[in-house]
Amino acid sequence: MLQKPKLIIDGKRLDGREFDELRPIKIEAGVLKRADGSCYLEMGRNKVVAAVYGPRELHPRHLQDPSKAVIRYRYNMAPFSVEERKRPGPDRRSIEISKVSKEAIEAIVIKELFPRSTIDIFVEVLQADAGSRTACLNAASVALVDAGVPMRGIISSVAVAKVDGVLVLDPIKEEDYYGEADIPFAFLIRNGKIESIALLQMDGRITKEELKEAIKLAKKGAMEIYKLQREAIMKKYEIEKEDIENAQ
Amino acid sequence: MHSDILVDIKKDYVLSKLRDNERIDGRAFDEFRKIEIYPNIIQKAEGSALVKIGDTQVVVGIKMQPGEPFPDTPDKGIIITNAELVPLASPTFEPGPPDENAIELARVVDRGIRHSEAVDLSELCIEEGKKVWILFIDIHALDDDGNLMDASALAAIVALMNTVVPAERFELGNDFKLPIKDIPISVTSLVVEDKFLVDPSRDELSVGDNTITITTDKNDNIVAIQKSGSYLLSEELFEEIVETSIKKAKEIRKLVTS
Amino acid sequence: MRKIVLPGDLVSTNPKLAGSGTYIENGRVYSKILGLLDQTETQVRIIPLKGRYIPSVGDTVIGIVREVTANGWIVDIHCPYTAFLPVQEYPNMKPDKKPNEILEIGDAIIAKVLNIDPKMKVTLTMKDKLCRPIRFGRIVAINPARVPRVIGKKGSMIKLLKGELDVQIIVGQNGLIWLNGDRRKITIAEEAIYKIEQEAHTEGLTDRITEFIKRRKENVTKA
Repeated sequence: MLQKPKLIIDGKRLDGREFDELRPIKIEAGVLKRADGSCYLEMGRNKVVAAVYGPRELHPRHLQDPSKAVIRYRYNMAPFSVEERKRPGPDRRSIEISKVSKEAIEAIVIKELFPRSTIDIFVEVLQADAGSRTACLNAASVALVDAGVPMRGIISSVAVAKVDGVLVLDPIKEEDYYGEADIPFAFLIRNGKIESIALLQMDGRITKEELKEAIKLAKKGAMEIYKLQREAIMKKYEIEKEDIENAQ
Repeated sequence: MHSDILVDIKKDYVLSKLRDNERIDGRAFDEFRKIEIYPNIIQKAEGSALVKIGDTQVVVGIKMQPGEPFPDTPDKGIIITNAELVPLASPTFEPGPPDENAIELARVVDRGIRHSEAVDLSELCIEEGKKVWILFIDIHALDDDGNLMDASALAAIVALMNTVVPAERFELGNDFKLPIKDIPISVTSLVVEDKFLVDPSRDELSVGDNTITITTDKNDNIVAIQKSGSYLLSEELFEEIVETSIKKAKEIRKLVTS
Repeated sequence: MRKIVLPGDLVSTNPKLAGSGTYIENGRVYSKILGLLDQTETQVRIIPLKGRYIPSVGDTVIGIVREVTANGWIVDIHCPYTAFLPVQEYPNMKPDKKPNEILEIGDAIIAKVLNIDPKMKVTLTMKDKLCRPIRFGRIVAINPARVPRVIGKKGSMIKLLKGELDVQIIVGQNGLIWLNGDRRKITIAEEAIYKIEQEAHTEGLTDRITEFIKRRKENVTKA
């Protein structure tokens, strides 16, 4: 590894952002025809597509849960999504990300309504740049709403990193790679309020106080993302209303 | 595993319209759906493109890295084509390694590019016998509304056309634009009874997955053929299909070069 | 205009008013789906904008036979649960006839949901005057959440389509609809149904659909 570069220069981050500033985000709901619900999302240079199929029949039978729906989540990176081509297929990192993401969603989907069925969530990373798992979870959340899946609320996800001793929101690749800690979060948000933590991991080392700060920072980012997720859904469903009003 | 009832219910409708010499979406028998081409959408890749044909969507990304040449072609670069028919794209796709459909798709797209010599492999030699450029064409399906083949082949050639060889990253000189010598275009048709429908939609394919793909180069040479599906094809129908495919490929090539 | 709500939106602080599409937590009522908020004095419910069809007893459904067994047929009704039509529930079933002589794989049928057991196994029946195998006509598919709008209040929308176009229409609660009649009229009916599907949650729809049908009929007679 080359000499670690300075990540904070004159109080600003490498890409000029403030410590508590998100990367630019673009969200579009309902972008695929075959899927029951879908979402295209960009977070900085991350470009991801999420699709939801279900509830639908689950085969083989022995995987079925007689009392509730099974949730399946598959995080997958396209071979061209990273600088050094990634061999297609799940690797250990993708499997771990899929597991914790699935668990976040399981905690908020009202599964008891659909015994013996499965709700399948597939997210493809077309281009990755740190925080792809958070981008994917944000997209999956919108796709689930678009599919009409009943949930307690909406999941919004963002990571916090510690770089050069400073906590920053929504790290880019260099901050993630050279930083002292990377902490992805996802929160359940209900009625415009953050209710609880649905996903939490940490890679690195921090103090207890820094962790408290990180949570505050992440919550701020998550609320901003939640607003954008809402806008994306409203945009898709309101657009029909507007077209009609304009046509008259 | 899963069949899709939404597609199955269309079968009778497709056939009854066919008897009146019509298609369910009103297209002519030799008409493609609306084609949208978005080059260079994945900046991190060496080249890329998103192609939409109707509601079918495919992304192709090109990645390059130096590697060892094959022993029998020490001065030629290597092209490797792979297709991922990810479960996101259709209720009938399952996760896992490429199945026979994904493999067939990748190999047909590959043959079109290889035999049209769109990429001159001798220009990808770095050090004869030791180092050449390996070029990966990765096809990633996003939405299967029929004819992933043509969407993939089109996205592949457009991606190649905006590919920049990343020599600087590997300290092998300056980056340079990948020289492209030809533009292969594939045209796939659904064969039903004694008729053929160009660019079949998923609903039309409900009558049977019986297709034939013809890929041509800019001089109207045929550089790939693939008959796919358990059906019997008459010679006369085949000749008609070849004529039509050459004609349609020309039109699509114009779209690409404009 | 009804408000669009998302999962987790607070819709009432009175749990007694909680209707379909909502859930209660800590004495507060929240929406659990994407839908339109429908508030009355007695109830707060959410009209779904999307979602898979979940069968209820008594529903009319359209399905496709996927398998034939000795006791009946396994039917795909486009929902997370496969449905079974027992041989006894086929009207006028002659004892010497085998199931595959009556309905084959790939056949479409109109049936009713007879029973749903606690494990969500769905049993169908065709012993009802609406039920029949589909041998002609056309099947159209829409988002099941929009079916109530295609039917309309007390069947008003369906009556409109039938009256203006003189076609047979049977609407499956699972979003599949059977149309039968003159081919051009069926095509207009199909387009009208997609229009209703798109504009389901807007006002003045009945008038717009009436207008739409009148205009399309004119074009057809001109042609």
